Amino acid sequence: MTETTQMARLGAVRPTAEIVAARLKRRHNAERRFRAVGLGAVLLALGFLGVLLFTIVGNGITAFVQTYVRVDVTFDATLLGIEGDTNPDVLASANYPAVIKQSLYRAFPEVKSRGEQRQLGAMVSSGADIDLRKMLVADPSLLGQTRSLWLLADDDIDMAVKGHIPRKPGVSGNRLSDNELHWLSELESRGAIKTRFNTLLWTSGDSREPELAGLWGAVVGSIYSLVITLLVSFPLGVATSVYLEEFAPKNRWTDLIEVNINNLAAVPSVVFGLLGLAVFLNIFGMPRSAPLVGGLVLALICLPTIIIAARAAMKAVPPSIREAAAGLGASKLQVVTDHVLPLSMPGILTGTILGMAHALGETAPLLMIGMVAFIVDIPATPLDPSAVLPVQVYLWADSPERAFVERTSAAIMVLLMFLALMNLSAILLRKKFERRW
Amino acid sequence: MQLLILTIVLLALTAFGFSSGRRRALSVVEGNPRLLHSLPNHHGYLVALWCGIPALLIVIGWLAFEPSLLHALVISALPPELAEMSDERLSLVYNEVRNVALNGQTASSDAVAEASRHYLSLRQTLFGATAVAALVLAVAGLAWARARIHRDLRARNRVEQIVTIFLVMASTVAIFTTIGIVLSLLFESLRFFHFVPVTEFLFGTAWSPQMAIRSDQVGSSGAFGAVPLFAGTMLIAGIALLVAVPLGLLSAIYMSEYALPRFRSVVKPLLEILAGIPTVVYGFFAALTVAPFIRDLGTSLGLTVASESALAAGLVMGIMIIPFVSSLSDDVISAVPQSLREGAYGLGATKSETIKQVVIPAALPGIVGGVLLAASRAIGETMIVVMAAGLAANLTANPLEAVTTVTTQIVTLLVGDQEFDSPKTLAAFALGLALFTITLALNAVALHIVNKYREKYD
Amino acid sequence: MLRKTMAVAALAVASIAIVGTAHARDQIRVVGSSTVYPFTTAVAEQFGKTGKFKTPVVESTGTGGGFKLFCAGVGPDHPDVSDASRAIKASEIETCAKNGVSDIVEVKIGYDGIVLAAAKRASHIDVTRKQLFLALAKEVPVDGKLVENPYVTWNQIDPKLPANKIEVLGPPPTSGTRDAFIELVLEHAAESFPELKELKKTDEKAFKKAYSSIREDGAYIEAGENDNLIVQKLDANPNAFGIFGYSFLEQNEDKLQGSKVDGVAPTFDDIAGGKYPVSRPLYIYVKKAHVGQIPGIKEFLVEYSSEKSWGKTGYLADKGLIPLADGERKEWATKATSLETLKK
Repeated sequence: MTETTQMARLGAVRPTAEIVAARLKRRHNAERRFRAVGLGAVLLALGFLGVLLFTIVGNGITAFVQTYVRVDVTFDATLLGIEGDTNPDVLASANYPAVIKQSLYRAFPEVKSRGEQRQLGAMVSSGADIDLRKMLVADPSLLGQTRSLWLLADDDIDMAVKGHIPRKPGVSGNRLSDNELHWLSELESRGAIKTRFNTLLWTSGDSREPELAGLWGAVVGSIYSLVITLLVSFPLGVATSVYLEEFAPKNRWTDLIEVNINNLAAVPSVVFGLLGLAVFLNIFGMPRSAPLVGGLVLALICLPTIIIAARAAMKAVPPSIREAAAGLGASKLQVVTDHVLPLSMPGILTGTILGMAHALGETAPLLMIGMVAFIVDIPATPLDPSAVLPVQVYLWADSPERAFVERTSAAIMVLLMFLALMNLSAILLRKKFERRW
Repeated sequence: MQLLILTIVLLALTAFGFSSGRRRALSVVEGNPRLLHSLPNHHGYLVALWCGIPALLIVIGWLAFEPSLLHALVISALPPELAEMSDERLSLVYNEVRNVALNGQTASSDAVAEASRHYLSLRQTLFGATAVAALVLAVAGLAWARARIHRDLRARNRVEQIVTIFLVMASTVAIFTTIGIVLSLLFESLRFFHFVPVTEFLFGTAWSPQMAIRSDQVGSSGAFGAVPLFAGTMLIAGIALLVAVPLGLLSAIYMSEYALPRFRSVVKPLLEILAGIPTVVYGFFAALTVAPFIRDLGTSLGLTVASESALAAGLVMGIMIIPFVSSLSDDVISAVPQSLREGAYGLGATKSETIKQVVIPAALPGIVGGVLLAASRAIGETMIVVMAAGLAANLTANPLEAVTTVTTQIVTLLVGDQEFDSPKTLAAFALGLALFTITLALNAVALHIVNKYREKYD
Repeated sequence: MLRKTMAVAALAVASIAIVGTAHARDQIRVVGSSTVYPFTTAVAEQFGKTGKFKTPVVESTGTGGGFKLFCAGVGPDHPDVSDASRAIKASEIETCAKNGVSDIVEVKIGYDGIVLAAAKRASHIDVTRKQLFLALAKEVPVDGKLVENPYVTWNQIDPKLPANKIEVLGPPPTSGTRDAFIELVLEHAAESFPELKELKKTDEKAFKKAYSSIREDGAYIEAGENDNLIVQKLDANPNAFGIFGYSFLEQNEDKLQGSKVDGVAPTFDDIAGGKYPVSRPLYIYVKKAHVGQIPGIKEFLVEYSSEKSWGKTGYLADKGLIPLADGERKEWATKATSLETLKK
C-alpha cells in the first residue's frame, strides 16, 4: 500500500490534496447513495402498503352502495298461485319470483324467446321477492294492484352499473350479453336504475347471491368470539403475569413456565387450530363452527401476548413504589393489587387490546375447527354456528361470482376499520396514561 | 335466565357477606380496627370467599353434569317402544325431546311430547335442587366464616393464600397448552406413522394424499413423502426473506441512523401497520392483484408463470414480515453503544462507512436472530399460502412455478373431511408436528443468538 | 378494590350466562358434493327466509366425503342430508346400513354436464371420449398391449389435435365429478378398445382397474373443485384444461369455454336435451330417521322440489342447474314429499 502510494507520488504529478479530494468526493457520493437506498427501502415498503390499501379500497368502496331497478309490479293472484286466498301462510309461500319476471317481461314486450326471457328475468336479484312478500303479507289488499317498486338488481347488473365490468356490447368474453347491456341502457334512459346506500351489507348474514350477502352474521360471530377470548385470556394473563413477576420463586418450575410462554408466542397459529380440533372438538365434544370454541382457541393464541405485555408493564413500575408500600406494612398482595396493578393497568390494557386485535384478524386456526361452513343465520348465542370477519373474507374470496371481489374488499375494509379502532384506542390509552418514572 | 338470577343472587349474597364480615370484624373490636390482626376488609373478603366459592362450585358442577344427568334420566323414563332403540336413535329422539321442550318444535309423537314435559320438569327440579344447595351452602359458609371472626383471626393470610392458589393455577395454563399441543400432535402423528413409515414421510419425494375413499374406487396411490412440501415451504419463505431482509434492514438503518425524529415518528407506525394487517387480507391481495400482475409481467417477458407462482406468495409474505425484520433490527442497531460510532467518526469515517463497518458488524448477531425469527414466522404463515400458493406438490426450485407448503396442506387436508381414521386426515397432524418442531428450533436458536449478543454490550 | 371485585363478578355472571344457554340442534345440516353445493345453499337460503325454520348449514365436502359423514350414523351429531353428484353406490348403502342408517330418501334434483373447459383465448378443440381416455388413463392399449401412457402432447393422440402438452386439472377422489367422469368418459371409451373389451370378458376387475386408473405423471393435476384458482390457472395457461360441472362453467362464462365432446358443445339446451354425452344426474339424500326429529327436513324437501326452485324457470335454473323433464320432476317431487325410501 505504502509502496504504491509512494510510487504514485513519485510518478504522478497529482498533488495529494487532489487525490484526497477526489476520494472524499467518492466517499461522499457513496454516503449519499447509501442514504438514498435507505430512504428508498422505507418508501418502497410504504409503497407496498399504499398499493395494498389502494387496491382494497378501489375494489371495495362501491360495495357500500347497491343498484336497484324500478319495476311496475302487479300482484297477480293467479301468477302468485294463491287464487285470492289471503291467509298469511299461503301469502308467505306464494310464487313471487314469477310475478317479478312477468313484470319485467311486460316492461320489455319485444322479448319473446325463452332464452332471452330467462336472461331478462335474471336482471333482478333472486332475493328481491322477499320485499314483495313482506309487502303483501303486511297488506293483503295489494292483491291485484300494481305498484312501482325499486327492486334489488342482480349482481352482474350491479357490477356493470358500478363500472367493474366493461359495458361495451359486442365484446366477446363479456359477462353480460349484448341483450342485457341493451336492456340496462334502456332502463337507465327510462330512469329506472339507481344506486342507494347498501343496508343489506350491514344487516344480513352470508348469502350465495353477492347482492344479498351481508357482514352482520360475521360481525356478531367476531364479537362473540372476542368476548370469550377476552373473558378467558385477560384474567388468566394478568394472574399469570402477577404470579411470575411478583410472587414466583426463581426455580426450575417458574423457568419452565417462562420458557413455555415464550415458545407459545412463536408457535404458528395453525398449530393452535390443530389443538382446538383434537382437544376441544374431539375430546370435549364441543359444537363445530361455534364462536365459543373459536374464542377459546383465540384466547390460547393471545395469552402469551397479553402475558408478555403485562409483565413488561409491571416491570416498568419502579421498585421504589413497591418498597414504599411494603415499608408502610402492606402485604405482597396488597402491594400488587393497590399499587402495581393500578399503575401498570394502562400498559396491560394496551397489550390486551393489541392481543385482541391480533385475535380479530386470525383466520387459519378457525378453519381447522369448522368455521368455514355456509352460515346464513345471525348467531343468537356463542354456541350457534357462525363465521367471523376474516373467515368471511376467506369464504368470499373463494366464491366464483365476480361481485364477490367487491364484497370481499368491502369486508376487508370493515375488518381493517375495526382493527384501526382497536389500535387507535390502544395508542390513545398509552398516550393518556403513559408514565415515565 | 333462571341461572342468571341465581348467579346474581349468589353474587349479592357474596357482597353481603363481604360487608357483614367487615362490620362483624369492626364490632368484635368495638370499632377500633387497630386491635384486629387483619384489616376489616380482609375479614370481609374471607367471608365473601367462603360464601361465594363453594356455591359457585356447585353451580359449575351443575353446569358440567346437568346435560348427561338429564339425558340419562329422560332416557330411562322413556316408554319401552322408544327405549329399545339403538343408542344413536335414542340420541336423535333425545335431541327432538329437547327441541320440543326448548325451541317450540311440535312433537312427532305423544311419547316424545310426554318425554319433553318430563324433561322440562326434571330440569326444573334439578335446577331447583342446585339452587337450594348453592344458596344453603352460601348462607352456611357465610354464617360459619362470620362466626369465626375474632380479633386474632389471620384473615389476610388466608385470603392471600387463596389468591395465590388461583395465581399458580392460572400460570399453569401455559404449560397445559403446550402439553396439549404436543400430546395431540404426537398422538395423532403416531397413528399416522402406523399407516406410513416415518422414513417415507420424512424422505419421500412424492406427495399425493388423495387416496381412494371406497374399496370400489381407484384413487391415486396415496404417497406421503413430505419433502416437496418442505421444499415448497423453504422456497416461499426464502423468497419472502429475500424481499424482507434487505428492505427491512435498510429501512431500520435509515430510520435509526438518518431519519429526523419527525419522519421517524410518522413512518415507523405506518410501517408497523404492515404487521397488523390480517394475513387473510394479504392472501386476498396476493391472489387478486400480485399473482396476475407477476403472471402478466412474465408473459410479456416471454416466461411461463404459473398463476399461483411461489414468487407471488413469497413476495407478499415478504411484505408482511418487513416490520418484523425492521423493528427487531432497529432495536439491535439502537442498542449498539454510541461510543463505537463516535470512535469511527473520530477516525474520519463517514456515516455510511461507520454503519457498514462498525454498527452492522456489532449488531450482526442480533440481526441474524431477528431474521431467524422472521423466517420462523414465514414458515408458519398459513393464509397467504392457502390463498395464493398451489396445491400441487412440485419439487422445484423455480419460483415461477406453483409449489405447495406444509401449512397449505394442513388446511386442505382438514377442511371438510373430519374422519380420524384415514392417513389423509392424520397426515395433517404429522405435518403440524413437523412445523411445530421446526419453528420451535428456529426460535430457540434465534433467542439464543439474540440473548448472547445482548450480554456483550449490557 | 371493590370496583374491581364487581368487575370480576360481572365477568363471572356473563360467562355463566353464556355457557348456561341450553343447546339442542334445531337446524338441518347438509354435507356433500361441491357441484350440488351452490344449488343446496340457494334452496337453504330461500327456505330460511320463510322464517319458520333456521337456515340449514351447508358444507361442501365432496360427494364421497359427504357420504362418509352421512353414513357415519344416526343422531344429532351426524348430518341429515347429503348432496351427491352421482347416485349412491351399493358399498355406501352397505356402510350406511352397518351404522344404522337404513331408510334413505333419494331425490334426483336435475342434471349437470361434465365439461372439459379451457380459457376463452385458447383455441377451440373438439375431442372424442376415446381421445380423452388416451390422454388421461394410466395405462393405454398400444399394439394390443396395455402400456404406461406414452402420450405427452395432444397431437400424438390425433394429429388433428393441437401440439400442446397434455395438462388437465381434474377433481380428486372425494369428488363425485371424478366418479362420474370415470364412468361416463373413461369406462365408455375403454369399451371401444378391442383389447380392453377382451379384458372385460375375461377379468372384470382388471378391466375396472384399467379404465379407472388416472395417470399420475403430472399430466392430470388434482385440484379442488369449483375453485377460483382453477379459473385463474386456466386463464393463465391456455394449454390447460379443467374438468368440472357445467354450472361452474356458466358462472365463469366470460373467462372459460367448454370444449366439444364427441362433436357436441356443452350448452344448457344440449345438456337438457340429452345430446351432450357427458351429463349426469344430481341427487340429494335424506336420512328418514331424522325427519320429524330435526325440525324442518320435510319442509326443506318441499321447498327443494317446488316448481319455483327446480322448475324450468326456477331459481336453481338461474344458478345453472339443468332441470329434469316435466314428468320426471313431478315423479321425484312426489317421492320427495312422501319420503319414499331407497330400495336396494
